[in-house]
Amino acid sequence: MSRFLGVSFSLNMDSIQGLAYGFGVAFSGPNLLACLLGVLIGTLVGILPGIGPIGAMALLIPSTFALGPTTALIMLAGIYYGSMYGGSTTTILINVPGEAASVVTAIDGYQMARKGRGGAALAVSAVGSFVAGTLGVVALMFFAPLLAEAALKFGPPEYFSLTLVGLIFLSQLGRGSALRSFIMVGFGLLLGTVGMEPISGLPRFTLGQLQLAQGVELVPVAMGLYGIGEVLIISERITGIPQMIKVKFRELFPTVAEWKKAFPPMLRGGGVGFFIGLIPGPAAIISTFAAYTLEKKISKHPEEFGQGAIEGVAGPEAANNSATAGAMVPLLALGIPFAPATAMLLGALIIHGVQPGPLLMTQKPEIFWGVVASMYIGNVVLLILNLPLVGIFASILRLPQHLLMGLILLLCLVGTYSVNNSILDIYILIGMGVVGYILRKLKFDLAPVILGLVLGPMLEKTLRQSLFMCRGDITSILYRPITAVLLSAGIAVIVLPHLLPLFRRKEKVSR
Amino acid sequence: MPGARYSAKAERFVLSGLGENDMAIGALAFVSLCFLVLGGAYLAGSFFLPMGTAAHPGAGFYPLLVGIALVCLSVPLLGQSLKTKEIDQRGEEAFPKGEDLQRVMAVALALVFFAVFLKPLGYGICSAALMIAILRFLGMRNWGRAILISILSMAISYYLFASVLDVPLPRGILFS
Repeated sequence: MSRFLGVSFSLNMDSIQGLAYGFGVAFSGPNLLACLLGVLIGTLVGILPGIGPIGAMALLIPSTFALGPTTALIMLAGIYYGSMYGGSTTTILINVPGEAASVVTAIDGYQMARKGRGGAALAVSAVGSFVAGTLGVVALMFFAPLLAEAALKFGPPEYFSLTLVGLIFLSQLGRGSALRSFIMVGFGLLLGTVGMEPISGLPRFTLGQLQLAQGVELVPVAMGLYGIGEVLIISERITGIPQMIKVKFRELFPTVAEWKKAFPPMLRGGGVGFFIGLIPGPAAIISTFAAYTLEKKISKHPEEFGQGAIEGVAGPEAANNSATAGAMVPLLALGIPFAPATAMLLGALIIHGVQPGPLLMTQKPEIFWGVVASMYIGNVVLLILNLPLVGIFASILRLPQHLLMGLILLLCLVGTYSVNNSILDIYILIGMGVVGYILRKLKFDLAPVILGLVLGPMLEKTLRQSLFMCRGDITSILYRPITAVLLSAGIAVIVLPHLLPLFRRKEKVSR
Repeated sequence: MPGARYSAKAERFVLSGLGENDMAIGALAFVSLCFLVLGGAYLAGSFFLPMGTAAHPGAGFYPLLVGIALVCLSVPLLGQSLKTKEIDQRGEEAFPKGEDLQRVMAVALALVFFAVFLKPLGYGICSAALMIAILRFLGMRNWGRAILISILSMAISYYLFASVLDVPLPRGILFS
């Protein structure tokens, strides 16, 4: 026991020292600027339709080439969690969620706005995001080092099963049918094998194109699926400038009663969000639904939900922010992203020549602690950006749609070209845009494509290493406890949804 | 009750989130067929790579697994998409028709033109032309304003990427 306490105590001391060091890194000129720019862009893309955090991160990865890896990651992470703040603004004011993670907020947030409490809804969602976002970073700071330490004992079989099970979780928990999501994983893995094979250097599936030997780049794929695809969907309808509910500055202060109602859901949402964030899948989106359901279940007045209940805004908005912090844990501790946005962060790390994994924290402390500290700073900045300045951001929605879409397309095209100065990448971008448009129309979830592409090479490497280790007898990895637990969890996630209806049917029969 | 016979199927159908009209179902069948063909071709391609042994897997081993998985997953989706044709569904979005479809295709075509002519004509002409096209397709009525905005956005983006970020954008015939 004392040993356990001793370990945790020394870790906590390390955390405080590390955080102090991180603040030193994050407050340095370029990093601070990168953080400000990141959260500003994040807020913008959260508000704007047509481009979300993933597209924006893909767009800005090339522009970080000139920066150091720490600065690049601080900026890109800022876009990720910043978008969660921005997403609520349009949701509440015009009933159009800027981000999928804000869909739940629309239920009660828009009702509040219609009843003249739009300002209070905005304030509660900004404060809730801040409280939960900060709590999430605290949890990240303590969890990630523990996980990284445990992961030092991981061998290829553990990494293989973790990656595989991550992809399974993602497909089962994501939007749309699991079968389609698995096909999307397969498509992503397929794209990931194009190019030079890592061990023998043999070119695979390059169709005779020399440029494809480098592999299919993440940037054009992500920007095509999430940027161009979205613009094509928006092109279907010519719409005018949306009607917005006007909010006056002094209306931004919720009443004491509203604060009292909203504060506990913020904390609960923060907790729910962080732990869901740890699970592979579209964590931010799932966490909002979970938090909303939780609030409705424990509320004394569940009938108020849907009519403008402030708890229905505070809980989900808090949850999606701490979920982003939770999603950063596997990325920073294990080097494995389980959400498309953290996959973009991994892509950025790799482009900057940083080896992600459990040693990142000890070998590159400036990256880990710098990013963690910047997330504290970023959350404070976001609170300022999203409370008094919310009107300015909302007015960006008055930009005519054709101008906005034109600029997004232009940025996608130039951004993709700037990665490798390659026309082929532009063709990949456009191709992926059309594919993304069609697949999205047919209700395929696109996140598994991105994760398959990013995790594919890791999956192949660890599979081959594992086979090598156990001399071709793959079943022997089942005798390793962590591998066995992980793989059983993966199987359970696939099988359970098919078994549960059987039980239910039996219940009905017996009744 | 004639409706009851379909209700179980319809429920499954709703859960799978399929589109309502024949076009969407046709499109889903088409897409799953595409994935089947892609997976099949990929699987065939993996046989041309060295397989290695179980203890020393070669370059073709993992693609073989991925190819098998893709084929095995596409077949049931194709089956599903063909089977669901008879079921009547409501309220699901499908592909647009008429003018709306033309607009989407026009935007996609404009992008392809941009890619094709980027090298020969250069970034300046291509980006301005793309911008005019998008502005017009998506409903800007005033030609003059469209041209002005296009030239402005071309100039700003060129300055930003070519001068500030040092991207060697193709100059083409105008500025070479």
